[in-house]
Amino acid sequence: MTTKFNRRSVLRGMVNGTAIGVSLPLLDMFLNGNADALATGAPLPTRFASFFWGLGLTPTRWEPKTAGKGYVTPPQLAFLEGKMKDRATVFEGFTVKLNGRPSHPHWTGMAAIMTGQCPNRVNQFDGMASFDTLISDVNGKGTRFRSVECTPFRSAVTSYSSRGQDSFGTSDDSPLQLYKRLFGEGFHDPNAADWKPDTRTMIKRSVLSSVKDQRDALMAQAGASDKARLDQYFTSVREVENKMAAELSRPAKCESCVVPTTPEERARKGDSETVLYNNEIMSKLTAMALACNQTRVINYQFTPATSELYLPGDSSVYHSHTHEEPVDGKVGYQPISSKLADISIEGFATFLKTMDSIKEGDGTLLDHSLVLGFSDTGWAKIHQVDNIPMMIVGGANGRHKGGQAVKVSAEPVTRVSLTIQQMMGLSVGSFGQGDMATSRPITEIMA
Amino acid sequence: MIGSKTSGLLLAAAALGAMALGAGNVSGQTRPGEKAPVAVPAGSIVGLRRLTEGEFRRSIADIFGPEIKISGRFEPEVRRDGLIAIGSGQAAISSSGMEQYYAIASGISEQVTSATGRKNYISCTPANPKASDDACASKVFSKYGRLLYRRPLTAPELAGLVTTARKATTQAKDFYVGLDETLTSMVASPYFLFRIERAAGVGANGQPTLDDYSRASRLSFMFWDAPPDEELLTAASKGELSTQAGLAKQVDRLAASPRLTDGVNAFFDDMLQMDLFKTQTKDATKYPKYSGVVAEESRQQTLKTITTLLLEKNGDYRDIFTTPDTFMTRTLAMVYKAPYTSNAAWAPYSFPSDSGRSGVLTQISFLSLFAHPAQSSPTKRGAALNEIFFCQPVPPPPADVDFSAVNGAGPDRQKTARLRLEQHRTNPSCAACHKIMDPLGLTLEKFDTLGQSRETEDGQPIDVSSDMAGTKFTGATGLGKVMHDAPQVPSCLVRNLYSTGVGRAPLSADYKVIDGLTKTFVDGNYRVPAFLKTMATSEAFFSAPPPPKPKAAAPAAPASTAQKETRQ
Repeated sequence: MTTKFNRRSVLRGMVNGTAIGVSLPLLDMFLNGNADALATGAPLPTRFASFFWGLGLTPTRWEPKTAGKGYVTPPQLAFLEGKMKDRATVFEGFTVKLNGRPSHPHWTGMAAIMTGQCPNRVNQFDGMASFDTLISDVNGKGTRFRSVECTPFRSAVTSYSSRGQDSFGTSDDSPLQLYKRLFGEGFHDPNAADWKPDTRTMIKRSVLSSVKDQRDALMAQAGASDKARLDQYFTSVREVENKMAAELSRPAKCESCVVPTTPEERARKGDSETVLYNNEIMSKLTAMALACNQTRVINYQFTPATSELYLPGDSSVYHSHTHEEPVDGKVGYQPISSKLADISIEGFATFLKTMDSIKEGDGTLLDHSLVLGFSDTGWAKIHQVDNIPMMIVGGANGRHKGGQAVKVSAEPVTRVSLTIQQMMGLSVGSFGQGDMATSRPITEIMA
Repeated sequence: MIGSKTSGLLLAAAALGAMALGAGNVSGQTRPGEKAPVAVPAGSIVGLRRLTEGEFRRSIADIFGPEIKISGRFEPEVRRDGLIAIGSGQAAISSSGMEQYYAIASGISEQVTSATGRKNYISCTPANPKASDDACASKVFSKYGRLLYRRPLTAPELAGLVTTARKATTQAKDFYVGLDETLTSMVASPYFLFRIERAAGVGANGQPTLDDYSRASRLSFMFWDAPPDEELLTAASKGELSTQAGLAKQVDRLAASPRLTDGVNAFFDDMLQMDLFKTQTKDATKYPKYSGVVAEESRQQTLKTITTLLLEKNGDYRDIFTTPDTFMTRTLAMVYKAPYTSNAAWAPYSFPSDSGRSGVLTQISFLSLFAHPAQSSPTKRGAALNEIFFCQPVPPPPADVDFSAVNGAGPDRQKTARLRLEQHRTNPSCAACHKIMDPLGLTLEKFDTLGQSRETEDGQPIDVSSDMAGTKFTGATGLGKVMHDAPQVPSCLVRNLYSTGVGRAPLSADYKVIDGLTKTFVDGNYRVPAFLKTMATSEAFFSAPPPPKPKAAAPAAPASTAQKETRQ
């Protein structure tokens, strides 16, 4: 095989009937000898995704009974069986330390994991940034989107990604809207032959940079809290500018990138069929956004924390069920709530399997990514913030030693958050505030 | 009158209960040294208020024309201390939000500078459309800059924009591209997206006082939910808004305009939390009548009821809780099971005296927004009444509470909401709050989650009698009278109007002002238009809080307002 072939010429050759024994879609010529980096020498980047669903899982149905390797897969994590389990770690027994702060139902748990602090007020992070932004600051450079937030649920207006000021990234809440943002105007197929920078984007970028000239004058006149908000504004402007800069650079060839087709728009509803349908499409779109180097961080919200997901034909929603549905004495849990938890975890499984279906280098996109799956409550019926389901899946470019269950007793959730940051390559030694401050990553899962 | 100083009769016990749980004076934040006069250099930024979606849309319609299409997704509004008007004073803009604002701005300027748009919006023609024309560009930016930034551009600002446009024109070889892109940058600028309030110096009350252009914006957004018009900007340029006579003249003009309806609509839309309609769902199997049309029309119905009573009839604010008069559409009439004989889209309608309905609390908007998708919620309704009309936030439910005791299991489940809620009283940590919320909410139980009348729940007759701190009342009409007569209700309205004007939660010093204004409102027989004029000509309305002194450590914020969707 000679290096003058590229994938397209090979494909063309095959179409023309020339028998060339090459397996698709991966061609070794694009990779270095160890198949862990592109032939250009640039390593395959480690991507990060957080996948959130509301209302936890069913206690007794998701917790592994033993720690370490070789644990029996609990029923609600059945999707791990097979090739996923070796790349997954399930965490049990971690908790949120309130430090005298109020426990805001459906807010505190998620906020503690993402920011390392229990906010005083609901719907705020009290000035703390969520750690996905710390990751995207380091690994997101040069991509069009510093991070992408989305939800297949009918309408979740805010995400949990924030730089700490009173602003949260806005979730795209329809497949079509997400498609247009990722693959519509401004997107260049990295494998297209006819690339040239768009003059109009060049003009837009230089004009937009003039907005930043207003920064110094405004900052000099503002008090501390307004200054922080203005600073957030100008950071956001810079990110729009960075997006344009990325669009003006010729994208590196990317064999795993296959531009998705325009999805069909469906009515935005909260029934499980619609949400799972949207989830499947949005999982493909976000996975391809990662594969096509449009972003390196995804914050995916399957449902809001107070999930109003419902089974078709049911007159009550998930959140109401968790509080109102009696525990069935025979099985020992709330059957409908548990069914809805199954659906939430099915959404997560689809997300992961989609990433794993994209071949990249010596493995799959999931091998080069780290995905945190998590929720807001342990047992939703009582708004419990102990033992919130958390798991990480993905090879993280060889940094994650999966296949294990980590069981602890009442240790802070921030240990998981810190571990993720370190596996993502951040030079960070500690994370969290008060009793949740930790400098102890979970080393047994770090390669 | 409000918060920790609540001295009313009816809810005294309730307020004490809430304070014991740490809610206390949630809205009154004290800053150290707030009484001492503080030197604030003229031009200092003392307020930064992100435009709401409504303010953004109305601004573009006023500045360019209502025909300009605005397509895009706005940053979600931030509600704090009961109001989006307060939250906007704390909101920032995220990067995905900025991406959207930029796209929206692009869409607007593209329409303004398009081949057809330029005939309407651009008053000059370049000598050569393929080359820059500084004079024409300057004219355009000067005109729209003043309207977008709500103040005239400084000479360096204008020169900067002209230079930017010139460079872009040269690159594109098209004058209108330069104009288009520069205009986009203006609509995406912090001077447009934020209402930037600046101090002129220190006022007689020892607090920073606003400059004329900041005053113009406070007035126009308060009265019209819109940016200052030409006349207001001119008055500001002459310094007239800093004189009592000049101010009174403009306030009279704003209050006399039909556009006052826009301002009052926007205020009540915010106060009544009508933005919740955006995310409201009703179970389609049980409530097939619910639709987007019902949602939008019931929102309009309540606003029409209020503005007709308060503005057109110059009525007593308290009558919004008792009036039978409203407006109906054919779709709404189906939900209310009311006759509809008109051919018009909207027709006046009065509920019959035996309908059990009483004012806005018994309209679909309130009844459906504060309920579950498939069933009513006396707790949500009770909490909303406390928060919206009494300015009395209810703390969130305690963690680790097992609701099984409340909801019952299987065949033991109690059939009516009252019976289910009775069981809250067995748990002291629940009872403290539920005794504030439930007695109010239970009186509305003869209306289901869609606001339709019913006499039974699950086959059992519904009891809507109530007893609160010794006051007995029955049903929605009883509740309406209680709300009508409660002294906290008008003072809460005053607190909300004032907070909307100044764009922040009241500090403890503001409560003196609010008490004084409440007295004016009461003495003026609860007439809103007259009250607005008094408020908008007061010194306090144009004051800003003094900058906080540096502090050693940030005190913990008070316990939060409750997260509504979590209540049962």
